[in-house]
Amino acid sequence: MLEARGLSVSFGAQPVLRDIDLTVAEHEFVCVVGPSGCGKTTLLRALAGLTPISSGSALFKGRPVIAPQTELAVVFQDYARALLPWRTVAGNVALALEARNIPASDHAARIAPLLAKLGLSGDGDKFPSQLSGGMQQRLQIARCLAQEPEVLLMDEPFGSLDAITRQQLQDEVARLAKEEKRTVLFITHDLEEAIYLGDRVIALARVKGNLAGRIAEIVDIALPRPRQQLATREDPRFLQYRHRLFRHLE
Amino acid sequence: MTRRLATLIAPVVFLLALLYAWTLAADAKLVNPLWFPGPERSFAKLGEWIATGALWSPLASTVWRMLAGWLAACAVGIALGAAIASSPLARRLLQPSAEFLRPLPASALLPPAILVLGFSNAMIVSVVAFGCVWPVLLAAIHGFGALDARLVEVARLLNFTPWQRAWKFQLPSALPHIFAGMRVSIAIALIVTVASEMLSSQPGIGYLMLVAARAFRSTDIFAGIIVLGALGFLINYGTQRLEGRLLRWR
Ligand SMILES: Nc1ncnc2c1ncn2[C@@H]1O[C@H](COP(=O)(O)OP(=O)(O)OP(=O)(O)O)[C@@H](O)[C@H]1O
Ligand SMILES: [Mg+2]
Repeated sequence: MLEARGLSVSFGAQPVLRDIDLTVAEHEFVCVVGPSGCGKTTLLRALAGLTPISSGSALFKGRPVIAPQTELAVVFQDYARALLPWRTVAGNVALALEARNIPASDHAARIAPLLAKLGLSGDGDKFPSQLSGGMQQRLQIARCLAQEPEVLLMDEPFGSLDAITRQQLQDEVARLAKEEKRTVLFITHDLEEAIYLGDRVIALARVKGNLAGRIAEIVDIALPRPRQQLATREDPRFLQYRHRLFRHLE
Repeated sequence: MTRRLATLIAPVVFLLALLYAWTLAADAKLVNPLWFPGPERSFAKLGEWIATGALWSPLASTVWRMLAGWLAACAVGIALGAAIASSPLARRLLQPSAEFLRPLPASALLPPAILVLGFSNAMIVSVVAFGCVWPVLLAAIHGFGALDARLVEVARLLNFTPWQRAWKFQLPSALPHIFAGMRVSIAIALIVTVASEMLSSQPGIGYLMLVAARAFRSTDIFAGIIVLGALGFLINYGTQRLEGRLLRWR
């Protein structure tokens, strides 16, 4: 579905990603972890067509991604900046419907179930500034789902949320990804979050010397679904995965 | 509640105090009462204008010219501002001329305007439009260029055309700036309208005051000043209300 082949990105003379090869299969939930500054955001942006690639390629369904396309939705970490402050909650979701040229008469019927799915049912007429951080991020996710993309690219979506909201949203996203059969590439610097959510975890690390990020290890996560915050995290295999991947984060 | 009442009453009290000071100054006869009437006589004159209906025709002319010039300036300013902010070509093409025209006082444009358009409403309206286009233009250039980089990416990800981007993203994000410019402009519009009426002898409140001055009818002048003050006050109130409604999200 989504693929990187020998993908490298440099900013000027500074290489940031080198020779990344990865494949995300249809309906797969893949997490990318790595220390700060190793190029996680850059990888996601390159796959989304937002950041130009220096060499190699990003492929979506076998075709190179050279510009953003509506089949690939991006959930940004800074949700407050990614929402239109002058539009209501419903209006922000409608934006994605407008992008798909869906007639305005159909909007209400499509927006309501999406808001319900993300626990925003009563908030359709509020403005983003009237929502909590967790609700704003839910809204951004709702807008991305309204886009009906095949792939969701999520860049540390819960990075700035409190622990409780974070766990709630983790479970919601895991459920939505399965229910809606979306392919997800999920960036995080939280190793436990990656193991808890992913079918596979890709550890990114910086090459010593030239500082470019490369793939250190890819681990298949064989934990049963649906996963549960307490039970899954206490599973001995969870701890083994954590142990194994931990060294890449130093 | 008492606080709100106080903030409502305080300005009224201040206005009454001002009127009282005016009365005192007039009663002290520092200036010959023939040239400096008190509020009593000035308001009596205004009452007389209203009673005889003599006020309405010049008032309507003045208001019409001012609003027409202002609205034309807003339309031109927003359109040009959007073009200059969005296209480097438009910027290179238009900016030098704009910098040349901007410092010209609107009154300097009256003689050529009279030559071309004659003593007409259209002449005054165009001079007013010229005089008050600048604040809107500058605000629009700034506002259209100030769209958050993240929202530019959201627009790219949703594949919006440049027109859709201007309409759905840039215009609403520029609107607070544009409104600020429009409010500066309406004040200029009133000034230029009155000055143009005086300089070109077109019937209106400005001309009414000029004729009164030539005939030493000082109460007419002061009644005119009261009318202009009230007009400015109402316009400001109106634009503020409109702004409050359109910028509800702030
Ligand atoms: N636009 C840019 N211009 C120049 N350098 C950049 C740019 N964006 C990122 N970089 C550099 O690329 C490297 C990787 O940045 P990136 O944002 O991808 O890291 P990250 O893994 O997402 O980090 P974090 O976990 O802190 O978000 C950093 O060293 C950063 O300084
Ligand atoms: Mg990042």
